[in-house]
Amino acid sequence: MTEILRTEGLGKRFSGLIANQNIDFSVDAGTVRCVIGPNGAGKTTFISMISGHHSASEGKIFYKGRDITHQSVIKRANVGIARKFQTPAVFEELTAYQNIELAVLGSQCLQADRHDRINEVLQLVRLTDQSAMQAQILSHGQRQWLEIGLLIAIEAELLLLDEPTAGMTVEESAATALLINMLVREHNLTAIIIEHDIQFIKDLKAPVTVLHLGQVLCEGSFDDVAANKEVREVYLGTDEGRSL
Amino acid sequence: MNMAATTSKPWAGLSNKIASETGVAGIVFMILALIPIFVPGYTTYILPQYMLFGLLAVSLAFLWGFVGILSFGQAAFFAIGAYAMGITMKTSMGINPAYVGLLVSFIIGGGIAAIVGYFLFSAGVRSTYFVLVTLALSIMTEQIAVSQSDITGGWNGMYMDRITLTFFDLGKMVLSDDMSSYYAIFILVIISYLALRYLLSVKFGKVLVGIRENEERMTALGYNVSLYKTSAFALSGAFASFAGALYGSHANFVSPSLGGILFSTEVVVWVAIGGRHSLLGALVGGIIVASISNYLSAWTPEYWQLLLGLIFITVIVFFKGGVAGAVKSLYGLWLERHKR
Repeated sequence: MTEILRTEGLGKRFSGLIANQNIDFSVDAGTVRCVIGPNGAGKTTFISMISGHHSASEGKIFYKGRDITHQSVIKRANVGIARKFQTPAVFEELTAYQNIELAVLGSQCLQADRHDRINEVLQLVRLTDQSAMQAQILSHGQRQWLEIGLLIAIEAELLLLDEPTAGMTVEESAATALLINMLVREHNLTAIIIEHDIQFIKDLKAPVTVLHLGQVLCEGSFDDVAANKEVREVYLGTDEGRSL
Repeated sequence: MNMAATTSKPWAGLSNKIASETGVAGIVFMILALIPIFVPGYTTYILPQYMLFGLLAVSLAFLWGFVGILSFGQAAFFAIGAYAMGITMKTSMGINPAYVGLLVSFIIGGGIAAIVGYFLFSAGVRSTYFVLVTLALSIMTEQIAVSQSDITGGWNGMYMDRITLTFFDLGKMVLSDDMSSYYAIFILVIISYLALRYLLSVKFGKVLVGIRENEERMTALGYNVSLYKTSAFALSGAFASFAGALYGSHANFVSPSLGGILFSTEVVVWVAIGGRHSLLGALVGGIIVASISNYLSAWTPEYWQLLLGLIFITVIVFFKGGVAGAVKSLYGLWLERHKR
């Protein structure tokens, strides 16, 4: 398998506060990776550096072997790195169809194929029946899917998903895990996922990277990580810890 | 509502709205076409000025209603266009100076807006500060028009002739009589309105609406947001300037106050009352509110601005989307009721 993303000694300081430090990280194309860690572990900061929303204080980021450490958000988006924000960032007053259309307009899709492509994406994210509804009246879970739909529609290759199941019911979470695994398998995408929902991570059956105090604590399969003594100590007394 | 129908035609609701706007636009233009026949005289002289105010309002609605950028500098571009026209008309040249003047005003207005927009938007200036800069643009334009009196005539203003439209060897149309000037301006206003409406219906316009709705999301989707905003501001400035060029030649006169803050504020009021989410609403808002202002100022010179202010507040408090927005939602309610 070929590596799609690698970080070397990546770090981020916010005027004295160390949010991320010395992160060596690598993901292969066509795989899913979960990034977990207690609150304040620096997960969102890490994702933000990959998407370009934060600049790295130290270290380097390579995407498909190319150094992108100093590239803008727009440039990274145009080479296929797309991010889903922690709170769904969709176009609230536009319909689900128009939301997806805006993303399709930014892709290579030909004008004649746009309508079909939009409906195809809506179907993938299970929003066909909601296509004429404004994003603001969709449920929280549907808005999360809509945002994932945006990333699919611009033909992103590396999906950065910041808490994609927040606000979802148990069934919706399970369906999201299926959706992500299907996308990765059938559309050859790569996904890096930040999550707190342990059941969702189990459903994904994907390797896990644990961040703690801005550094990588350990990496491995979910079972290995859950059995790790240090990880259990870090999570001690938290909800996630009880479900590990 | 039939679910299958809505999914197969997701733009159905919107195309209804567009169809209804086209219908209303047809009626408005029909009325404007007939007015000189039924109400000749002073109306034929003054209404083209209001139509150009309407086009000025359209240029702001394009920016404010569809990209979410408010500008208090539209009058500056209007005045720049009028001065550019006057100056071009004074220099003799081989080709018809009217065409050169119109083109020059369009390019200068668009160019200045592009330069200002480029520096502000690429630096990520927030909309509040952008408004302040456009205010400054109005002040600067007025001051330059006053101080450069050798070129602009200072406080005395600048006089210019009506333009003559030539059609290659097919003939020409001298706009010195009000009737022909009325129809020439009428047609150019319609063309400008349709051009801007077309731009809003294609990818460019959809991206602008996306930026209005969620700028950060558009950036993260890979759109060069500042380039789109700069282009929109440039277009808005170009059309405002184009309207100003026609205004200067129709009114035979331009003075510094045409570029000032007071006039800029009036443009914002027209658009807010007419409805910023509709180019047609802004056009009609510009024409009608400017007419009413003129009427009120003759009737009660002391209190007309107070009355206008009251109308403004009433519309904004009760219909956030202006008159066009209110009409649209009433029409939507009517449709709903008739379906059941």
